Amino acid sequence: MHPEEYREAGLDGRFSRQAVLSVLIFAALWEALSYLAPALGIPAFAIPSFARIGRSLLTITPIDVLVTLARVIGALILSFVLGVALAVLMYQSQRLENYLRPMIRLFMAVPVVSWILFAVLWFRGVEFRIAFVLIAVCGPVFLIDAFDAMRNVPRELRRMVRSFRPTALQYFGKLMFPAIVPNLITSWKINLSLAIRVVTIAELVGAVTGIGHQLAVAQELFSVADVFAWTLVLVALLFLLEAVVARVERRVLRWRA
Amino acid sequence: MIAPPPIEVRQLRKVFRQTASGEPVVAIDRLDLDIAPREVVAIVGQTGCGKSTLFDLMIGLERPTAGSIRIGGKTPYGDFDHFRGQIATVFQQDRLLPWRSALDNVKLPLELIRLSDDEQHKRSLFWLERLGLANFARAYPHELSGGMRQRVAIARAFVVQPNILLADEAFGHLDEVTAAELRETFLSLARECGSTAILITHQLEEAIGVGDRIIVLGRAARLLADIDVARWEKREFAILREAIQATLQNNAQDLRLMRA
Repeated sequence: MHPEEYREAGLDGRFSRQAVLSVLIFAALWEALSYLAPALGIPAFAIPSFARIGRSLLTITPIDVLVTLARVIGALILSFVLGVALAVLMYQSQRLENYLRPMIRLFMAVPVVSWILFAVLWFRGVEFRIAFVLIAVCGPVFLIDAFDAMRNVPRELRRMVRSFRPTALQYFGKLMFPAIVPNLITSWKINLSLAIRVVTIAELVGAVTGIGHQLAVAQELFSVADVFAWTLVLVALLFLLEAVVARVERRVLRWRA
Repeated sequence: MIAPPPIEVRQLRKVFRQTASGEPVVAIDRLDLDIAPREVVAIVGQTGCGKSTLFDLMIGLERPTAGSIRIGGKTPYGDFDHFRGQIATVFQQDRLLPWRSALDNVKLPLELIRLSDDEQHKRSLFWLERLGLANFARAYPHELSGGMRQRVAIARAFVVQPNILLADEAFGHLDEVTAAELRETFLSLARECGSTAILITHQLEEAIGVGDRIIVLGRAARLLADIDVARWEKREFAILREAIQATLQNNAQDLRLMRA
């Protein structure tokens, strides 16, 4: 994806005036509804005011945020390494590609909930379960994006580099990896939002720490304010991570016109 | 400088299979050729005659179907690594890596032969200066004109001080003035470095203007003529041009145009 397209899609970590305005309008409507709820026959706890949500935000436990963040980043790094390594192997072996491609398509078609259930049924350790689910969901995205990007490296550039007789390692280091960086950054952006959602569901089911677990607790306590507060934290976390990736992208892809 | 190794092409044949039909296409048919060290040879032929296939075979990116190419007794395909830093190429398009600056593009071949960072920097800068691009060392390819990019590509080829230089239609896409200027630079540098230079082109003017020798290939890369340019006076170049054109049109060998 071109930087311009990211900007249009709002994925570059910046906010337009319209975006801020639409959030403010939503907040105003929410606040108005929270006051009108009792008059409309809606229980007061269902639409808490921002003051109430603010109080919930003050009770956010940073350790749960850090745990979720660590799970997301750890699993994404693992997925990235595994995905790119397999993509390299597939690029080098047509036979391996023939075997792996259908399997990856199958993996990508499996719903997240099924992966979570498999993880719960197959594994004991909570961290292992969460990592398994995240890798199963995010790994194939990295793999397919990296593989397709490698195949799309212009033939002219491949022949030029090969004419200078690089070793296999040099070939990937000097040509393939730098050439697919834009695609890898796109994969990171896609996988970040995917991973945040998946980790939350996974934590919701089996974990005793993390944002997902705190959401489960809030649900048990019928505290919409807490759910709202933790959701805000999740969204903020995603925006923060996206901003980091956008910064890396601007730095790494500064050569682009 | 040690003389570059001679190039021997013997009964070279290359057959491709068409992807869709599987039908064989003969690109090169039993070609025999000898190129002496430090010779500047222009290979000319019509589009689709197998010139670029010959180029790929010479740099070792393709394997011959039959026959052989030997450079100093070794084959560029079979002894691929042996020729690291010995053969350099300039292609039709500059083929610069867009994420690297001009300087880093020139450094590429030196990185592959694992020269020290200092040496890489010094040599690359030297060649950029020789090509008149010292002020553009930090520029990215998209910030350079077509001619400047091709200069960077030429610097990238010379930076390893190769024994053999191959250029595949390297100046054909540039305007006449830039092309003539770059061609001149390329040849004088090749002579200065003592490299064997092989220029593949479809332009007769270019072939006559640059080569010590012109090899004319017919369809399926058969040898139609092997011309020693030194035997022709400059005023006879128009006649030579016509003779080559007639040979290409007839697609038949012209014994008058064969070297002794």
